[in-house]
Formats: sequence, structure tokens, C-alpha cells
Amino acid sequence: MKTQTVKTSNAAETTKLAADILGKLKPGDCLALTGDLGSGKTTFVKGLAQALGVKGPVTSPTFLILKTYPTKHPAIKRLVHVDAYRLEAAKDLVEVGFSDEINQPGTISVVEWAEKVKEMLPPGKTIWIKIKIGQKDDRVFEIIWPDSGSN
Amino acid sequence: MIVLGIETSCDESAAALLEVKAGRFKVLASLISSQIKIHTKYGGVVPEVAARNHVLNLPGVLDSVFKEVGLSPQTKKNDRPDVISVTRGPGLITSLLVGVWTAQALSLAWEVPLVGVNHMQGHILANWLDLPANRDIELPALCLVVSGGHTELVMVTGPGRHKLIGRTRDDAAGEAYDKVAKLLNLGYPGGPIIDRMAQKGQADKYELPRPMINSGDFDFSFSGLKTAVRYLAAEKKITSAKAKADLAASFQRAVVDVLVEKTLAAAERHSPKTILLAGGVAANSALRSRMQAEAQNFGFKFSLLPLKYTTDNAAMIAAAGYINKSKAKVAPNIKADPNWEL
Repeated sequence: MKTQTVKTSNAAETTKLAADILGKLKPGDCLALTGDLGSGKTTFVKGLAQALGVKGPVTSPTFLILKTYPTKHPAIKRLVHVDAYRLEAAKDLVEVGFSDEINQPGTISVVEWAEKVKEMLPPGKTIWIKIKIGQKDDRVFEIIWPDSGSN
Repeated sequence: MIVLGIETSCDESAAALLEVKAGRFKVLASLISSQIKIHTKYGGVVPEVAARNHVLNLPGVLDSVFKEVGLSPQTKKNDRPDVISVTRGPGLITSLLVGVWTAQALSLAWEVPLVGVNHMQGHILANWLDLPANRDIELPALCLVVSGGHTELVMVTGPGRHKLIGRTRDDAAGEAYDKVAKLLNLGYPGGPIIDRMAQKGQADKYELPRPMINSGDFDFSFSGLKTAVRYLAAEKKITSAKAKADLAASFQRAVVDVLVEKTLAAAERHSPKTILLAGGVAANSALRSRMQAEAQNFGFKFSLLPLKYTTDNAAMIAAAGYINKSKAKVAPNIKADPNWEL
């Protein structure tokens, strides 16, 4: 495991961080996001989608739990965006079709409120990103890379 | 003509029977799983996220909807609907599949044509359900569709003909309500709770942003507003019931300001005859009264959707099935599409 800590001071820096992290990902990887309401998870996912060339707005998946987007990226063809906020148990992630979706070729997934479903996330392929709110607009991203996998 | 509607795109398992006479929609029966006590052999009544609950609930809901109208489609061929309509998207794939497969099985068994329809088109068409004989909705109409999962402005030019002209770029308005209710420990669902509290609060007490109100387009953003409430609650140490009511009122004012002003700006640009609301947040008392007053101020007609057809239901899906009945076939191969936007 390798842990890295990055501080951002505004939405533009968070967007750039998402693009930097994307550069180190492989198809099949899962980004597990944790952080309070308003910590910047939405901004991060939007940055990721922008870097992948997703067309149109990436809107919150809270209500539907899971949304998929085609991308323009050469290796990563699909983005699966999950919000576990409304799920009651980790196994509910299976019920919404998560395993089917992430096992399709060229897919990466990003899971918000990932701490609620951690036992269902792909072992060795899950990168944890823990967001903490700092002073004013500062956000501290703690990024934990798995031993095997992307980096 | 009788249309059976089936809806399982998200949390609710719903079925409805709609009678269409001279193009007017009369709802004969419309049930959602959370409304009725389903016989225990069909399982629980609490809607949950998982598709397995649709599997448990939908047969009971279907059964009850036919019973309510006094029909026995299993044994009497004449009691079967003329068309079956099912939500094919947008929604959660595993939940959509339960409705689609059930509808396909019924279509095959009863030899009744089936059509897959768009959930959002259904929400818009809910405005025509049980419309009194002396009332019509003049077209074109501008419809604000606003719910837990959607915030969209749609121009409606004819039955089932529409064009998306604006949408949320992040959270839906209904989601902002749920999340703010959670931040303030008010409970779930947030919409009705905040609406009730707001009536006791002072809406100009706290200053909150009106995101994108002057953006020049017809898109929305509610993610930042939720964050602003979070900061404000922490900074002003909002804990008392009075302070919470004031914050709820201030938040509701901000949301309604944005929804109403953007709708009116879109109306100025696109010149509809009528303004409509649709979706679960259309049940919000402040939105209903403000939109009605402002629409009429600016010289637009306003048609108020009955409360019971604001949230997810299958009568609206049956209406969408009627509009698309030319595409209905017996036992067609319908593909659920979770990302099917209007």
C-alpha cells in the first residue's frame, strides 16, 4: 500500500487532481471515495469524467444509485458512477448490478460513500480516496493505492 | 381503450389501469407498493432500493389494481387490457428489468400488445390524467420536471413530442432537499419535512446562493447550495428548532427562486402558452403557489398537476403507452435502457 496526500484549494485544483489520478488508472480499477456532504466528491467525479471525455453533464447518481457513461478515452471505454448513500447494506451493491457493470471490458468505476460497501469493492483494484474539509475551500485528499494494481 | 401501466424504474413498484375515451385519460385504478398493504404472501410493503423488492411487490400490486376495478384478466379474456405499457428507462437497470420482464410475460400470456416508454415522458403526461372535461392544456407548454432524480425544463409541442431545453448539471432539486434534511437531522424524505418546517420559518433570515440564476442558459445546479447550507449551519451553530425552521425556509426560498425564475426565463425565450409542473418536487407547496402566481403574472396559463400524480406512479406510464400505442406489439423484445434521456 502506498499513501499519498494532496491538498487542493479550489474546484479547478480538484478537477486537475482527478485528471492526474486518471493517468495512473487501468481498466477494472475502482475509485472508492469517502467524505462528508459538501466535501467535493461531486467536483472530483466531474473532473474525472471531463478528463475521460464524457459527453454531457455527469449528474448525481444518488437517486438511481448507479449510472454509466461512455467515454472518449483510448483504454477506458466506460465510467460507472455509483452512490452508496441510499444503500442499507454492502450486498445491496450487487442488487443494483454493480458486479455486472464493472466486469465489462474497459470499465472504471467510482463509488461515493464507499465506506458503506467496502467489502463488495474489487480487492487489489480499489484505490481509496478520503476527502477531508480543511480551512475555507481547502480539501485534503488522502489517496491509498493498493499493492497490486495500477500504480 | 384500457391501458395497463407498469412502473419499476426506481423505488416504487406501481401498476395502473387507464381508460382512454376520445383522447382523454381517466384513471380507473393506480397503486404503488408503498401505499397499500400487500398480502403477506407477496412480501413486504416498504420500498427498498433492491430489485428483489420489485419482484416481491409487483405481482401483488398488479393483482390489486385489477381487483379494484373488478376485472379478472387471468380467467376472462375480455377483462384483459388493450395495451400494456412499461417503463423502459431511465432508471436503475436491475429495477427496470423486473417491470420489463413482467410486462413481456403478461403480453405473451394474454396476447396483448406491449410498448416500452420513457419515465420522464410519463411524468409530463401526468398533467393530462383525470383532466376535467371542460379543461384543456394549450400547447405548446413548458414543463418543469423536478424530482429526486431529475430537474429538467422541457418544451412540449404535442402529445409525446418534446424537446429538452435545460437540466441540472449535478444534483436534482429533490436530492438537495433530502441532503439538507439529512445535514440538519430532520429525517427522510426531505421534501415534505422541509416544506412543513419552512412554513414556520423566516425565509429571509439566512442568505444563501441562487446557483446559476443568471447563467443565461436554462441549466440548474444544486450541489453548491447544499454545501452552502452545510457551512452556514456550522458557522451559525444552528441547533434550535427555531433556527432550523428559519434555515429550512431560507433554503426552500433559494430553491424555489431558482426553479421559478429559470422557468420564466425559458418561457420568455420559447413563448409557450401554458406552464406545467411535473415530478415529486411538484408536490412542494411553495413551488406550486409561486409558480402559479408568477406564471399568471407574466401572462402564461398555468395548469396545476394533482398532488397524487406528482410522484412516481403507473397511470402516467399508461398514458405514455397510449401515446406510443402504434409501436406496441405482442411479446416484443424490449430492452431496458437505464440512460434513456428525453
